[in-house]
Order: sequence, then C-alpha cells, then structure tokens
Amino acid sequence: MATIDIRAVSKAYGGHAPVLTDIDLSIRDGEFIVLVGPSGCGKSTLLRMIAGLEAISAGTIAIGGRVVNDLAPKARDIAMVFQSYALYPHMTVAENMTYSLRLKKTPKATVAEKLEAASRKLGLDAFLARKPKALSGGQRQRVAMGRAIVRAPKAFLFDEPLSNLDARLREQMRAEIRKLHAGLGATSIYVTHDQVEAMTLADRIVAMHGGIIQQVGSPLDLYDRPANLFVAGFIGSPGMNFLPGRWDAGARAVRLKADSVLPVERAIDLPDGSAITVGVRPEHVGLGGEGGLAAAVELVEPTGHGIILHLRLQDQPFKALTTDRRYLTPQESVTVTMPADRLHLFDGNGDRIA
Amino acid sequence: MTPAPRRPFLQRLGDRAEPWLYSAPALIVIAAVMLVPLVVGISYAFRDVQILNPFSGGFVGLDHFRALAGDKAFRVALVNTFWWTVLTVLIQLLFGLVLALLLDTPFRGRGIAQALVFLPWAVPTFLTGLNWAWLFNPTIGPLPHWLHALGLLAEPSNILSDPNLALWGPITAAVWWGIPFFAITLLAALQSIPSDLYEAAAIDGANPFQRFWSITLPFLAPVIAITVLLRTVWVANFTDLIIVMTGGGPADRTQTVASYIFTQAFKRLDFGYASAISLVLLFLLLAYALLILLLRQRLIDRDK
Repeated sequence: MATIDIRAVSKAYGGHAPVLTDIDLSIRDGEFIVLVGPSGCGKSTLLRMIAGLEAISAGTIAIGGRVVNDLAPKARDIAMVFQSYALYPHMTVAENMTYSLRLKKTPKATVAEKLEAASRKLGLDAFLARKPKALSGGQRQRVAMGRAIVRAPKAFLFDEPLSNLDARLREQMRAEIRKLHAGLGATSIYVTHDQVEAMTLADRIVAMHGGIIQQVGSPLDLYDRPANLFVAGFIGSPGMNFLPGRWDAGARAVRLKADSVLPVERAIDLPDGSAITVGVRPEHVGLGGEGGLAAAVELVEPTGHGIILHLRLQDQPFKALTTDRRYLTPQESVTVTMPADRLHLFDGNGDRIA
Repeated sequence: MTPAPRRPFLQRLGDRAEPWLYSAPALIVIAAVMLVPLVVGISYAFRDVQILNPFSGGFVGLDHFRALAGDKAFRVALVNTFWWTVLTVLIQLLFGLVLALLLDTPFRGRGIAQALVFLPWAVPTFLTGLNWAWLFNPTIGPLPHWLHALGLLAEPSNILSDPNLALWGPITAAVWWGIPFFAITLLAALQSIPSDLYEAAAIDGANPFQRFWSITLPFLAPVIAITVLLRTVWVANFTDLIIVMTGGGPADRTQTVASYIFTQAFKRLDFGYASAISLVLLFLLLAYALLILLLRQRLIDRDK
C-alpha cells in the first residue's frame, strides 16, 4: 500500500502530437481512483506508464515516495489486471495465481497459504486445477484478480477489466471489486470508458480527454459541478442537453434562440451579449409545466423504470427523462421547463461559470 | 398400418448410386494419379525389373527382401539416414528458432531482413549442392582453410572425401537450405502470442529467460511438433544434396536409404530392388509418423 504521485508527466511518441500533456495527480494511500474518458484520451497510456510498460517522456512518477521512472515493472511492486485477463493459457488456475510468488522463490507453505486465502476470497476453490480455457469469462476475471491479490502489492492497476463481460456479470463484478477494495484497502487505479463504472467504483474520478486531465473530484462533484462541457457531456446517462445562447446582463437571463429567455438566479460576471452554453440534465427537465418552451417529440424510448423522450428544441436535439407513463403515448409536442437551480452555465471556452 | 409400397429396384439403385456418380470424376482422377502408380511401384518390389535386361519382369516373391536383409550397404545407409535426419532437423530447428526470435524483435530494416531470410529456400537444391561442394573444395573454396585456421581441421582438406566427416557436408548444406522453413513458421507462431501475456509476466517479475520458458516455448510447442514431424519425413527422403555433393561416397559413408534407392534405380538400373528398399523406407516413415501422432494425441489429451 502506498501513495502514488504523478508530477508533470508527459508522453509523446517521437515526432507525433503528445498523447499525454502535463499530468499532475496525487493519489492517497488506499484510495480508489478511476481514470475515465473516451478511447484515445490517454488513460490507458497513463496506467501503463505507472505499471512500467511504457516509458515516461517527461516528468516523474513516484510510488510510495520512491521515483520509479527507471525501474522495471517487476521492481515497482504493483499488480495489474488486464482487459484480456492475460492468463497464462498453459498453467492451471493455481499456477497462474502463484506464478509471481514462485518466481520470487517463496517457500511452498507460504504460497499454498496465500493461494488458499485468495481463492477462498474469490470463490475459486473448485477451479484451482483447471486451465483458463475451461473457465467462463467471469471466472477468468476472478483468476486475474486473484493473481493480483496473492502478491499483496503496493497498488492495483486495472485496465478496463470488465469490458469483456456481459452487462449482468459486469454489474456483479463491479460490486465485488468495490467490496474487495473495502476489504483490502489497497491503493487502486482503475481505467474505464464506462462512466457508470467510474461513478459507482471511484473515491475520486479523473476525467481525461485529449491527453489532458479535465477534472478530478468525487463522483458527485463531477455530476453536480462539471468543470467544463466535456465533463458535463461525458458524465451522466443519458447525456446532458446543451443549448446555445447569449448573456443578457440587464435581464440577468440567458437569451436563447427565438427570443425565449431563461432567467438565471446567480450573479454572473460576463459582458452583455457574450456567448454562453446552457446545460441541463434530462432527469432535471420538467415536462408540461407553465411558461415552458415548446419541443417537438421525435422518439419515445421506454426503459422500464422511466421514459426517455427524444425532443427537438429550437433546432437542437434535446432529451428528457420522466417516469410519467402518460408520455408513452406519442404526442406531437410537449412543453419543457428547466429549473433555474439545475442549470449549468458554460462560457465561450466551454468552462463552467461560477 | 400398411407397409410403404416398395419402390422399383432401378429407382432404389439410382438413389444408392447417385452420390458415387457425382464423385466419380474426382475419384477416378485420384485413383489414376495416386493409387495406380503406388500399386505398380509396390508390385515392382516383388518382381525382377531391370531396365537393361529385356527378359526381366518375372515374379520373384520375397527375394528382394531376403537380399536386403543381408545387404551390408543397406544397413550402413539405415544408420546414415538416422544421423543425417536427426542432425539436419535438429540444427535447422535450433537456428530457425534463433532466427525467428531475432526477427520478432523490432529493428530498422526488419522487413528486408525477413525477405532475405527466405532466400536460401528459393535456391534450387541442385545449385545449393554444387555451391557447397565448391565451398568445401580446398582448391577453390575458403571453408577448409578457415576450418584449418580455427584448428578444427588438421590440414585444409576436403571433408567431402573424408569418410569420417563426409556426412557433415550435405548436413551443412541442408541446414543452410532448410533454416528459412523453420524461421518463417516459428516467426508466424511467435507473432500470434498475445503481447499482454509478456507484459503480465514482466509485472509478475519474470526475467526474459523465464518469460521465454513459461510463455514462448509452451506456445511454440505444437508448431514445433508438427514442423519437426513434417521435416523429418521430408529430410529422410531428401537426396538431392547428397547425390550432387558426394553421390553417396566415399565408400557409401554418406549413403542414406533414399540416396541408396536412387543409386540402385538410376545407376544400377535395378528398379525391382530399388522398389523393395522404397517399401521398407515407406514403412519406417509410416511407423514414425504414427508414433508422433500418438504422442501428439496424448499431449492434447493431457492439455484438456
């Protein structure tokens, strides 16, 4: 168990645009950090740099206070769970899980003890003599976790470990990983593109885009106060609605297209007429209220516990989430209201205002 | 229930014959091209077939095999075949594996190197044999002088004319010629190993040698087994280099069973005796192939 300090780390492959730019991140002892972002945002590269599988172009990474830039992966005392599980196909489950211990010439009794503890924790007792190909996806996933656990490393690294599982199993494993972390209390870094995984697992989420950290914070921080348009759009499902407008300083309101006006209750320090983007989450949109805006209904998606309405509002795609089953019957148009305290405002650069 | 009325005989016959009629063209071609020569060849083994003797051709029963049992040259050829095959295949495998591992690591100009490695394979074996025969010839080739300078040869002589060393000549040429086969097939197998296995092993603390031992070798094992099986049969039957470089000499010291067949058939023109030897070689190789296949099956069963 250890802290991990990432200082001004960059990664570039000779001559190409940098993959990661100036990453700064301090991870506390025992913290569960989730790196989340779309594919190609650099999150996996960052994880592989921490693991020692990719060279660091600039900056330093320290694990437990020791700079590990020039250390080989095996000297860093970390364990990694791969998306493909990367189980050794010619070894049994027991051999897979104890490979690292046997390489370190650990006494046989200790190996057996650790194997027993880990396999009991993961419910793998019955499969120890099997080869990976005789296991289901979920069981392989557990073996990969077991291989990490037996080593009791300073930190666990997870590279999209649940992506190859079906939805139900993913949900189940998510809960198990959370419980496992609660039990072991080990520093963990978890990479995923799935914002639901990020929200449910993380102590803190690191949202990344284009090789740059966009925001670091608790899951609810990112949900309630996204720092910019990217985070606002990435966190939450269905995604946040955005409407372009202009700031009317006199009326303290956002002037949308077609002369509709959204009053804003906060004081905003922006010159009159500057561009502004209004964001509102589908679950906060009110339907059928007084004084709302008219929106055309394009599609109705029932999800069981709710209904997603795909609307068109002032020529912008717009979604609303409701549990009111009246909206299941197709209608031509509805009126939508946006509560002032639920509005997210972003300036012309896409950064959050106040 | 009334029994279904029996259909007319001709209709039933037609139904039975239908699939055979459809496959007939292919079956006839296969029989004509493969089975007929095989049967004729086998029949020679039991007949007295000598090209220069117009009265030959009669049935002689097992006479050829009786003669073979007492043929000292044949026994020498059997032992030579064993060493020739084992040494050639093993050295080819070893160098092929090393070459494949080298070509699997990225470096500048790897594409060209991979193409060049294939080159010996494209050289006709006849040319290969001539080339190496000249290389071993002290009057025009450098090899004897180099071997002498290294202290491996007492004097710069032609090893092809030394009864104790002659077999190494064709073996060297065969190794040079056959390495690409192993290099390319093993390289293909190497490239199919997922790279994250090596990464997982590196994190688990395995050094390069341990990674090779616990990941690379188990992955290559099935490919090595099947290529060695193929090459063994191939090399055992492979005579071009021996015929070109030594002609089986000196004093039959490089005569393998396959080259002995060639000598009997095309130098002594005794096709009957040559066919009898072929039949023995065929059974030896069949027995070997069966053994390997059984071994493979056991390995696969154990893997389950």
